[in-house]
Amino acid sequence: MIVAAIVGGTLALAACGSATPSSGTGSGGRAKALVGAGSTLVAPLMSVWQPTYYKRYGVAITYGAIGSGGGIVQLIARTVDFGASDAPFLRAQAAACHGCLEIPWALAATLVAYHLKGAPNHLRFSGRVLADIWLGRIRRWDDPAIRRLNPHVKLPDTAILPVHRVDGSGDTYAFVDYLDRVSPRFRAEIGPPAPIVNWPGGVGGRGNSGVGGVLSAANGTIAYIAIAYVLQSHFDYGLVENQAGRFPTPGIPSIAAAADALRSVPAGGRRGVSIVDPPASAPDAYPISTFTYVLVPTATRPGIAPTLRRFISWAVTAGQRFGPKLDFAPLPQAVVRADLADVRLIR
Amino acid sequence: MSGPTSSALPRRSELLNYRPRLADRIGEPGLRALSALAGVLAVALILWIAETVFNDAGPAITKYGLGFIGRQVWNPDANGGVGSFGALDFIYGTLVSSLIAMVIATPLAVAIALYLTELAPRVVRRPVAILVELLAAIPSVILGLWGILVLGPFLGNRLEPFLHRILGWIPLFGGIPSPYGMLTAALVLTIMALPIITAVAREVFASTPAELKEGAWALGATRWEMVRMVVLPAGRAGVVGAVILGLGRALGEAIAVTQVIGNTPQIQASLFAPAGTLAAQIASEYQSANPGLGQASLIFLAAILLVISLLVNVIARLYVRRVSVR
Repeated sequence: MIVAAIVGGTLALAACGSATPSSGTGSGGRAKALVGAGSTLVAPLMSVWQPTYYKRYGVAITYGAIGSGGGIVQLIARTVDFGASDAPFLRAQAAACHGCLEIPWALAATLVAYHLKGAPNHLRFSGRVLADIWLGRIRRWDDPAIRRLNPHVKLPDTAILPVHRVDGSGDTYAFVDYLDRVSPRFRAEIGPPAPIVNWPGGVGGRGNSGVGGVLSAANGTIAYIAIAYVLQSHFDYGLVENQAGRFPTPGIPSIAAAADALRSVPAGGRRGVSIVDPPASAPDAYPISTFTYVLVPTATRPGIAPTLRRFISWAVTAGQRFGPKLDFAPLPQAVVRADLADVRLIR
Repeated sequence: MSGPTSSALPRRSELLNYRPRLADRIGEPGLRALSALAGVLAVALILWIAETVFNDAGPAITKYGLGFIGRQVWNPDANGGVGSFGALDFIYGTLVSSLIAMVIATPLAVAIALYLTELAPRVVRRPVAILVELLAAIPSVILGLWGILVLGPFLGNRLEPFLHRILGWIPLFGGIPSPYGMLTAALVLTIMALPIITAVAREVFASTPAELKEGAWALGATRWEMVRMVVLPAGRAGVVGAVILGLGRALGEAIAVTQVIGNTPQIQASLFAPAGTLAAQIASEYQSANPGLGQASLIFLAAILLVISLLVNVIARLYVRRVSVR
């Protein structure tokens, strides 16, 4: 409620700013500012896009990294011009949004990071083991299931403390989507993927940075965190087994391999594109890769549509070159083509 | 004969012909109106807040009624995204963490207050009093940060394993030691409530009637006997009021608690286990709760917290009034 009021106030100020028509763009003027909110996963990339786009086109973009769930809620309430979420709409949210599009505009991954004194980096995990850890069935680090995957490592007898997100998170969505596919038991206990789920036990943190804080403060913790945060904070992270039986290192090549395994891109910007748990035909694919989406209404406020269209078209083409330094893989060409077609639907 | 100088008293003619000056004519009703307005504003604000909270919790109240208090579930994903909610985990967490905080903070605060009023050398009293009051000035967020960085690891890596080893057979200490949990949150709340209780208790003890204390000494009481027989009983109502003030702070604390309690809706016997409180849950989820039942349930939690705080306040007033009348 309070965020809506503050963002609404900012929106009002932005609207005042865009009332003056810019030179040579026809009647009505084009907005000079956009307000968005949502995913913390895409926040590092957004903070590079903002000054670059302002220098190039003179449009100021304000972004609040309040979590994917928050972005969805703010867009439904129309307090922002666009939302950002790593999780596609749930059915009820899509209905409440009245004709909103989800356009994938960046490609990243969710890593399994851990803090364990006495253990090396790059421990190996399988999907089943991860599911059992978060279900509370595997309770110690030297459990036989973990030892079997890491035969040459001396694992300490520390208790495992799984960490999750308490706010609405696209990383939660991607992680639960992955665990649902690899573990029928997880699917039965937790249910379908969503930005917030009901974890049995464990500890909750707010935002990627909150979860990172829990991780660094406690020994024995394991968490799912967006790749940019893990690499910047130098957490230890695990290698996850994919369907081909390999343990690819998460990074641009393995994320791009997961996206390339896409058979088809759904048209019309609906329903999201899931690339977790890619088939064995993509042996180098990292299994918990995820698109992150910009959420836009098809019917926007006056003056916003051309600015929004140009921003998103820029983001999925020229904006992609800022991605690799922040561990975002470039979008596959098929996805870019579909995106540019969907952008035209914004009125 | 000499009398009072005539300028000191009004003349008889002035008294008979008294007409109020303009400033008085405006001033008095003006003061009355302004202060009445302020009072009405305050009442209106409370009513407005209560009305908003209960209104926005409407969908959840209609769906669950008072049974919401007894439901032990918090699943935003159930029933195809509609969600299934209940307040029991959080009510338990709020009451237990606040209770533990009061149990630890009250004797400590009374001891500090006694020390500062009766036992400390005069030179030491003011600096120590100021330092204790500075504890109250620390923003909650910073206390939460200190809890994550210092207190949590100390509890999780040293104190809790120690308690688990010695007293692990008691269910309270039977869980896995963890830096995030009920005990850490309770200790952070203790630190927040302590300065409030100490400050008020200090005032109460300092205002113990001197003749009662001197009477006790005259009868040959030792310092400890004097404290026990005079200071503590005389100050009992005030100390209870102080504890209620501290309890009010503990019940409503959201930010520091959500940083250290683990934010997991569950009821466990062990003090080491993560838990959730009403305020911390609202702080965690308010930005991203699903519109509809999700948001309404969150505001229902807020309504419950509001009612608990008001109840505590009313009970405190009744107790203080009863004791004062005696």
